[in-house]
Amino acid sequence: MNSDREDEHRPSAGRNNPRETGDWAVAVSGLTKRFGERVALDNVDLLVPRGSAFGYLGPNGAGKTTLIRALLGLIKSDSGTMSLLDLPVPAERGRALARVGAIVDEPRFHGHLSGRENLKTLAVARGGDADKQIDPVLERTQLTQRAEDKVSSYSMGMRQRLGLAGCLLGDPELLILDEPMNGLDPAGIHEMREMIRGLVDEGRTVMLSSHLLDEVERTCDLVAVVDRGKVIRQGPISELIGGSGDAVEVQCSDPSAAARALGQSTIASRIVVSEEGLTITLAPGSPREQADEVTRRLVEAGIGVHGLRLVHASLEDWFLSVTSRLGEDQ
Amino acid sequence: MTQNSHTAARTDSWLPSLPLIGIKLLELRRRSALMVVTLVFTVGVPVIFYGIRAIYHLIDPAHNGTAGATNAFATAGSLMAEFGFIVAVLLGATAGTDDLTDGMFRQLVITGRSRLALYLARIPAGLAILLSLSAIGYTLAALVTGFFNGPNTPGTFAPSVRALTGAGLWLELYLVIGFTLGLGLGVLMAQRTVPVVLLIVFEIIITPALAGHAIPHFVNVERLVVGVAMDQLQPAVLAGGVHIGPGGGGGLMIPPMPTWAMTAVIAIWIIGWLGIGAWKMATRDA
Repeated sequence: MNSDREDEHRPSAGRNNPRETGDWAVAVSGLTKRFGERVALDNVDLLVPRGSAFGYLGPNGAGKTTLIRALLGLIKSDSGTMSLLDLPVPAERGRALARVGAIVDEPRFHGHLSGRENLKTLAVARGGDADKQIDPVLERTQLTQRAEDKVSSYSMGMRQRLGLAGCLLGDPELLILDEPMNGLDPAGIHEMREMIRGLVDEGRTVMLSSHLLDEVERTCDLVAVVDRGKVIRQGPISELIGGSGDAVEVQCSDPSAAARALGQSTIASRIVVSEEGLTITLAPGSPREQADEVTRRLVEAGIGVHGLRLVHASLEDWFLSVTSRLGEDQ
Repeated sequence: MTQNSHTAARTDSWLPSLPLIGIKLLELRRRSALMVVTLVFTVGVPVIFYGIRAIYHLIDPAHNGTAGATNAFATAGSLMAEFGFIVAVLLGATAGTDDLTDGMFRQLVITGRSRLALYLARIPAGLAILLSLSAIGYTLAALVTGFFNGPNTPGTFAPSVRALTGAGLWLELYLVIGFTLGLGLGVLMAQRTVPVVLLIVFEIIITPALAGHAIPHFVNVERLVVGVAMDQLQPAVLAGGVHIGPGGGGGLMIPPMPTWAMTAVIAIWIIGWLGIGAWKMATRDA
C-alpha cells in the first residue's frame, strides 16, 4: 500500500485526534475471512473514531455484514486483529459487547412474545441494570403503545425500532447498525436519521452499514467504502467527495465558443458540450469562486448566458466513481 | 451514558443465571400449541386412559375391573412413557432451536452473554415444564391405582409406595433422556422437525426391535443403545412381562446388563448429547 493510499484510508485529524490518543471505537487491521474459496474480507483495515457517525458503504455482497459479524464474534475470522472500544476481540469479547449495541441484518425476534417480553429477554441476557432501561427505550423508540402486542403483528419499521430499542438497553457507547433504514418508509427513515444523530450528540459512536448513499451522506460524518471484501476509501465525507469535482451547468448562446473560452483556463478539469450548453467539471478549489470566474470569462467572451447552476458532487457520484474504478483495475 | 463494567462481569460467566433460566421458561410457556400438546401427552394420557376404564367399569362392572386395577398400571405406564418420550423430544428440540429459528440467537450472542450460559439455561427451563407436568400425570395414575384398585386378580397385588416411587423416577429419567436427545440433535441440526421424526422412529420402532431381538455377535453393541439399557432398568411394576433386568424389566433375548453398565450407557447418552449441543452452540456461526 503506498503512502497516498494509506492516508486516504485514515480518518483525518479532528479536535481530539484518536490516532494520537489511540481512542478508536472500532479498530480493524488486516482482517481476512474466507468462506471456502470465496474471500469475503480481504485484509481489511478500518478505524472508526469515537463520537462519530460512521458510514460503512458498499454494494450488495461487498462484505459489509461479514465484517460486522466478525466484529461481534458471530463468525470467526481467518486472520487479522480487531478491537472494540479499545478492548481486543474476541479475547475480551464479553466485556466489549457489554458496551456495544448492534443490529445485524434485519432485526428478528420471537414472534410469539410481545415487544416488551423480547426486550426483557435481551435485558436478562445483558444482565446488570439493563431491565430498568426497558421502559425508557420503548419510549425513546415510540413503541410504548404497542409494547404488549406480539411482535408477529409488528410492521418492518416497528421491528427496526424494536431492534434499536434492544441495542439501547445496555446504554451502549458504540452502536453497530446493519442497514438500519431497510424497510422504513420516508417518515421512518427521517425518524431513524434523527435518532442516530441524537445518539451521536449524546457522545455515542454509531457505525452503520448501508447502500442508501443519500441517507449515509445526510447522517454520517465519515465513511468507508468496501467493495469485494476490501476497504477502498475511508475518511470524512467532505474530504472524500471534495476531490471528486463539483460542476457548473451552463445554458448559453454558443456552447462551442464557451468551451473554447474556458478550455484555456485552469478552472475546468473537464468540459462536456451539448446542444443546450455545457457541463464544466471544476478543478479542485472553491466552487463558488470558480463559478464566478466561469461567468466572468463567458461574459468577457461575449457569450450570452441564459442560465448557470452550481452542482455539488454527491456521495453517490463519488461512490460510483471509486467503485467503478476498482472494477476497471481488475 | 454510563460505564457497564458490572454488566460485563455478569455476562462472562458460563453459568446461566436464574433470570436467564426464567426467561427461557417464559419463551417456552408462551408457545401455546406446544404447551397444549405437552399437557395432553403428559397429563391427558393417564386421565383419558383411566377415564375410559372408569366408564367401562361403570357400564359393565362384571366384565371390566376397576379403573385402578393393578394390571392396568403397566399399560398406563407404557402409554405415559411412549407419549411422554415424544413430547420430551419435541420440547427438547424446541428449547434447543427456538431462538435459532426465530433469529433471536444472534441478538442474544451480541449481548456478550456466554454462549454456553445461553445454551445451559434451556435445560432447566425445558425440564421444569416437562418433569412437573409428567409428575402430575404420573401422580394421578398412582393415586388411581392406590385408591381405585378394587379386588386384585389372583396372583397380583397392589403396588407398594416404594414400587410406585421407583416407577415414577424411571419414567422421569426416560423423559429426561428424550429431552436431552431432542435438545442435542435439534441444536446440531438447527431445526426441529427432522430430529423429532428421527428420534421418534428410533425410540418407537428401532429400539423395541433391538430390545426384543439378539443379533448374533452384536449383543454388546445392542446394549449400548440407551433404550435397551432403559428397558432393563424398567421397574417390574411397569414392565409387565419377563423381569430379568436389574431394574425388573428387560426381555429374554438380551442378556441382563450389570447395573454399572446400564448406568454408564444412560449417563453417556445424556452427557454426550448435551455435550454435542453445547459444542455446536458454542461454535456455530450466528
